[in-house]
Amino acid sequence: MRPPALVRHVVACAALVALAALMLAGCGSARRSDPIKGSVTINDPRVAHGRDVWMMKCNRCHPGGEAGLGPATNDKPLPGFLIAAQIRTGLGAMPAFTKEEMSDADVAAVIAYMKAIRRADAKPM
Amino acid sequence: MMRSARSGALAVCAGAVLLSGCYNLRPSTGGGQTSFSGQRTVNAGDIALPSGYRAEAVATGLTYPTGVAFDGSGRIYVSESGYSYGEDFTAPRLVRVEQGGGLKTVVRGGRNGPWTGVTFADGAFYIAEGGVLEGGRILRVTPEGGQSAVISGLPTMGDHHTNGPAIGPDGWIYFGQGTATNSGIVGKDNLEFGWLTRKPQFHDIACEDIVVTGENFTTPNYVTGEGQAETGTYVPFGTGTTPGQVIKGRLPCGGSILRVPAGGGAPQLVAWGFRNPFGLAFGPGGSLYVTENGYDDRGSRPVWGAGDPLWRIERGRWYGWPDFSAGEPLTESDYKPPGDPQPTFLLQHQKAPPRPVANLGVHGSANGIDFSRSDSFGHVGEAFIAMFGDQAPDTGKVTNPVGFKVVRVNVSNGAIEDFAVNKGRKSGPASYIGGGGLERPLGVKFSPDGSALYVADFGVMTMTAKGPNPVRGTGVLWKIVRE
Repeated sequence: MRPPALVRHVVACAALVALAALMLAGCGSARRSDPIKGSVTINDPRVAHGRDVWMMKCNRCHPGGEAGLGPATNDKPLPGFLIAAQIRTGLGAMPAFTKEEMSDADVAAVIAYMKAIRRADAKPM
Repeated sequence: MMRSARSGALAVCAGAVLLSGCYNLRPSTGGGQTSFSGQRTVNAGDIALPSGYRAEAVATGLTYPTGVAFDGSGRIYVSESGYSYGEDFTAPRLVRVEQGGGLKTVVRGGRNGPWTGVTFADGAFYIAEGGVLEGGRILRVTPEGGQSAVISGLPTMGDHHTNGPAIGPDGWIYFGQGTATNSGIVGKDNLEFGWLTRKPQFHDIACEDIVVTGENFTTPNYVTGEGQAETGTYVPFGTGTTPGQVIKGRLPCGGSILRVPAGGGAPQLVAWGFRNPFGLAFGPGGSLYVTENGYDDRGSRPVWGAGDPLWRIERGRWYGWPDFSAGEPLTESDYKPPGDPQPTFLLQHQKAPPRPVANLGVHGSANGIDFSRSDSFGHVGEAFIAMFGDQAPDTGKVTNPVGFKVVRVNVSNGAIEDFAVNKGRKSGPASYIGGGGLERPLGVKFSPDGSALYVADFGVMTMTAKGPNPVRGTGVLWKIVRE
């Protein structure tokens, strides 16, 4: 039996508010670099490729995943599909990246790298 | 079902908007956008380093330190600039750091700073004198304080100055020449820097012949104060250009790496097409690496989102200024400032510039550079770069302090990693986040045995409504070793 429409609406709104609050909160510090969190060893070739793409395409505006010209990325627990959507479409001041500039494989690798850095705590990846 | 779909779409949109951070609505929060009074607190314990390293303050009370060098006996010397943005002129100095942190003056310069760096070779110091008033020079200074010019009259009286120097494997002195302008057009920002009033005919100088597109920019006439002026590229303020016009190149030029014999002589072109090539160092295999301060979001032709590239230099190449950033054309939408026009090409191009080794944070001001060469310190072959830190909002808006640290770069894959940063929940200079750690690292140099990294920390420079506000006597020399 489906829950009443009112309940579904309340649940949807609650989820929306939770998502917004999560993003607004930034979920703590964005600092993940070696001096702060310890060195990270990258063993996964896809993560390593993601790091290379990140360094050339993303790092200048989000240095080390912290805020700089643009906002921090390390403290935004967005799902991969939303990150991919923003890379492809751009948003606000962030430019869109075409498939010529960043292939689908590059985008997937960057997302893997971003997620790995998010949870950086000196464990191999 | 429809309602669920709508809710989902709304959630995605909300997430996307929040992720964007509403850039246009947010105020700039640069590291200099703070206030400072009293004395600088110095506490090496407030600096975060990788596990196994520690820092200490070797000397304090310096005024605008820029570079570090060691004489044949391994004694430590620091160059003090003698000039800071904010139009503060002091006496440039080379000082020896005595045991206990005392400072002994070796030589003083005139009113022609900034002294941007120093190196030591074959029994003498070589200093890059920026030349803000009289033009740049490379000075040779003996340990007894005798001073002579290896080369003088360098055209660096604009925004950027004569930088370096570094001694090449060939024994020549390599140095950087900054451009007069941000992106090729003399304008209001140069009036605010102070030099357009002093040198109204000064402009960028090309190293080789160029053909311009004839793009001109109409502004109020900042020189006469009356009417309007039309200004093209590589010409004085108020001078227009025409499509296809050829502007002759000549040496010495701006936006370049030049070299000169240690005994003096005519300069030779190494490479050009840089904006402000600040740090020079020879790395693994004898290659020359250069840090470049990228474009700012200011002036008649503002550029948005330009990083600070690290270049491996190929002899004779052109590196892209004023139409490319880190190998990418400024005509790409990435570089369009919000609310300002998309930059268009100023030059007619036959070929594209190369790609950099790495591209550091926008407005982070990548400056001094040196390479680790000892296992006792670690990270052998990696470049260590001093990040002076942003000068927002004058150079462009940022959402968080950028720079104010030392990073290391793996030059084989371009990976950038923080090395020395201030502790805390946010990054930034000590004057911004609190504590007694780093302010504005400008120079880095490994000790002769490679076991210690010395960092010349320029000191406090806040950004006010009137521009940069540097604070004398707040510079520090830091030493970092592996325990």
